[in-house]
Amino acid sequence: MNPLGAETRLFLRSGRNIAALLLLLVLSATAVWAGIAEVANQRAAIERVAQEQARDLAAVEDANAGPQGDAGYVAYYAFMLTQDPPPPLAFAAIGQRDLQPYLLRVRALGLEAQLYDSEAYNPELALPGVFDWAFVLIYLLPLVVIALGHDLVTGERETGRLRLLLSLPGDGLWRRRAVLRYAAVLAALVIPLLVGGAIMAAPAGGIAVLILTAVLYCAFWFGLTLLAGAAMRTSATAATAMVGCWIMLTLVLPTLGNAAIARAVPVAKGIDLTLAQREVVHRGWDIPKEQTFERFFVSHPEWRGREEFEGRFHWKWYYAMHQVGDEAVAEDAAEYRASLERREDLTRALGFVLPSVGSMNVVHRIADTDIEGQLAYRDSIAAFHARLRAFYYPYLFADRPFTRADFAMIPRYSVRTAQGSLGVWPLAILALAALLMIGLGARRVSRLGGEGSARTG
Amino acid sequence: MSAATLIAREEWRLLLRNRAGLIATGLLVLLILVASFTSLERRSAIAADRDRYQTSVDRDFDAQPDRHPHRMVHYGQFVFRPIAPLAFFDAGVDGFTGNTILLEGHRQNSANFAEARQSSLLMRFGQLTPAFVLQTLAPLLLIFLGFASVARETERATLRLMLAQGIGGRSLLAGKLLGHGAIALAVGAPAFAVLIGFVITGSAAWPTIMLMIAGYAGWLLLWAFLSVVVSAFAGRPRDALAILIGLWLVMVVLLPRALPVMAAAQTPLATNIETEIALHRDLLEVGDSHDPDDPYFNDFREDVLARYGVETIEELPVQYAGLVSIEGERLTTQIYADAARRQAAREARQNGLVYRFALASPLIAIRQLSMALAGSDIAAHRDFLDQAEAFRYDFVQRLNRMQAVLIPGIEGDDPRIAAANWRTIPRFSYTRPNPYDRIGALVWPAGILLGWLIAILATAMIAARRIERSAR
Repeated sequence: MNPLGAETRLFLRSGRNIAALLLLLVLSATAVWAGIAEVANQRAAIERVAQEQARDLAAVEDANAGPQGDAGYVAYYAFMLTQDPPPPLAFAAIGQRDLQPYLLRVRALGLEAQLYDSEAYNPELALPGVFDWAFVLIYLLPLVVIALGHDLVTGERETGRLRLLLSLPGDGLWRRRAVLRYAAVLAALVIPLLVGGAIMAAPAGGIAVLILTAVLYCAFWFGLTLLAGAAMRTSATAATAMVGCWIMLTLVLPTLGNAAIARAVPVAKGIDLTLAQREVVHRGWDIPKEQTFERFFVSHPEWRGREEFEGRFHWKWYYAMHQVGDEAVAEDAAEYRASLERREDLTRALGFVLPSVGSMNVVHRIADTDIEGQLAYRDSIAAFHARLRAFYYPYLFADRPFTRADFAMIPRYSVRTAQGSLGVWPLAILALAALLMIGLGARRVSRLGGEGSARTG
Repeated sequence: MSAATLIAREEWRLLLRNRAGLIATGLLVLLILVASFTSLERRSAIAADRDRYQTSVDRDFDAQPDRHPHRMVHYGQFVFRPIAPLAFFDAGVDGFTGNTILLEGHRQNSANFAEARQSSLLMRFGQLTPAFVLQTLAPLLLIFLGFASVARETERATLRLMLAQGIGGRSLLAGKLLGHGAIALAVGAPAFAVLIGFVITGSAAWPTIMLMIAGYAGWLLLWAFLSVVVSAFAGRPRDALAILIGLWLVMVVLLPRALPVMAAAQTPLATNIETEIALHRDLLEVGDSHDPDDPYFNDFREDVLARYGVETIEELPVQYAGLVSIEGERLTTQIYADAARRQAAREARQNGLVYRFALASPLIAIRQLSMALAGSDIAAHRDFLDQAEAFRYDFVQRLNRMQAVLIPGIEGDDPRIAAANWRTIPRFSYTRPNPYDRIGALVWPAGILLGWLIAILATAMIAARRIERSAR
């Protein structure tokens, strides 16, 4: 009889094994389903808002269009919608998309007072963390690996079969057993992902990266479990030791890491820049208008010489004032952004040490649902805002009337392309950790054979 | 000494000889202490930051020059939510809510700069607070210390021996429960000591702290008792361990994460954009003050003229535009309040669904109890938003009244009023919500924890009878 077939039958005879595998399959499938539901929710919200927005813009058009329409009013009242639809892999790794806005309206006023606004979310629902495939991978998969693998050796010792097994001719028994369990766990985890990927028409390359991460992360835990299982005398101590490792790697150390990073990298510049921007913009009303124009012309020399107007108010001065407000806090804004990136970098560095965090980083980077994805969305909003301002300036500074025909010309935000990227280094380090653990585990198990034959021989 | 206390003492003696158990307990205690002190430090840093910002923006407001009051309506006031003293123990949703809002006229801005939006995904692993350690990790420790308590005796047949010596199943289980219950309280003791120390320094009130301690004591006892009872039913320690870890996984990790998916699918929230657009539309339906033929504002004008006993707007002793601003603010605020109420109701429905599952996952009960007592729950945040909104309406209307009353007396095409007026505008003073005002938010979680304890003890009785029967 084929030894692998025999092992498979033996493996499936255990109710616990089947229960653990089925549980993983169900959890993985539920998580993929929940991810798809969340993506559908976000798409529906975008759809809904886009319709409302179109009606709102039409109302602004009706109220302000005329042969002598003033672009100043239009720029003031016409909010433009920006949106960040869920990237193709978001269904597997929702990441921060539950609390970072994926919809934001901007107008030609100061960007810095608009960019950090929040969308509505329920903080109490966000508190426990999202339930998606990435969660099943990082938290739950190791527990199933532990359940299936911890007593590979100790179980045989406890039933008194170990010496017999070790004295049998031929090798590869433990390899067969370990590979069989490994493949079964991986299949239970990955099959729902493949189905979900097919439903969501996700790119094969991205799904492959998710699977590769699962392959490596699962290998790491199998190696560790083999190591502990071979080193410990009883199944109970092996299980205790492994669950201890799991607690440290997925609960305690990441939490300590987060506390350390939050302490090391303050992010108060966000509030600072918001307060500073308000001061600059409102001071604009109290200082001579020439001063504001002078500062505006430094970055917009093309409008120099067109600043004259009659009366106390002109929209061109108003928008120049807002732009000057943004420029005055540009340094703070850059520092704020840098602090967010620094936190992300430190998290990546922590991922080199903790496979749980490393896997989290890889799957959310390829899915583009981490802070970096949010910053990319913000950048695209900033670029759009610049286009919007540039569009209105000729009307304002050259006193061109804004007619109904011009409404169609207002720039529309075009959705950024998801910039999920492959973390080569994080994956390489994860692979290294997996190989190391597999190597150590295999060596420890093969030494058992030595002990056994020495004793029987 | 009774048989039960003897058995309890035996459990303690065994624990003292169990090196792995002692190390794990030591680590957990260390973690509680580390969490307490880093969290205390973090909380006071946050409190100092928000206080400093609040003082600085208040000073900025006073320092504004002579202006038209409407400019000040839009200069607005920033308010920062003071962090609750006990948020060091349980940060609750504080890291997930924005903690600063710009309050201005006829706009409702979002609370911004939530810590979770400025942190990497690492924050979703959990926040290092004593509450996190007690809620998530301590149950695992108690499982490890207790899973073998009875099953060990069953497996090694020492159980039969004890029964043969005349120790009843009841005293056996009572002893084990007593032993592990005491261990659970000992595990919680460092955290309780921190809480009591906090009262002694005058930073919290005794009743709140005692309720907090009682809640967590109940939570820890729940897991210690559960371990013993499962151990009594399982034949082998391994099985008990597997069942207990499975229960922990479902109750502490899985349900709290999976339920929000259900809640969000059942009751979707409206986006701020939709709310804003709808509001704009509602407002236009009431009336458009810029439209000279608008019926609502025509009536309003007639009312005003009649009230002052004059024929035309020019004869009014006050500025008519200022009165329109006051009326407009009143209208927008009503509509905003309606929208906010509807959104709060949706959130409450979402959270209500999660709470209903607290019966299956008592973690939800202890989490809500702890957050409510710490003043870091969503109700406390909502209370802050309400206070901020009431404050906003008040100061905006004061500025509008300044416009109506003071502007007519000022000559020129750029009328401004004196900067001294800004100092008469009140500053935001936050009143901390009293957790006992919402007694229901404390009663139901406490009831669920108590119910679980009773149910576990009742099951222990069944287990005791089963053991006695097995002896015959």
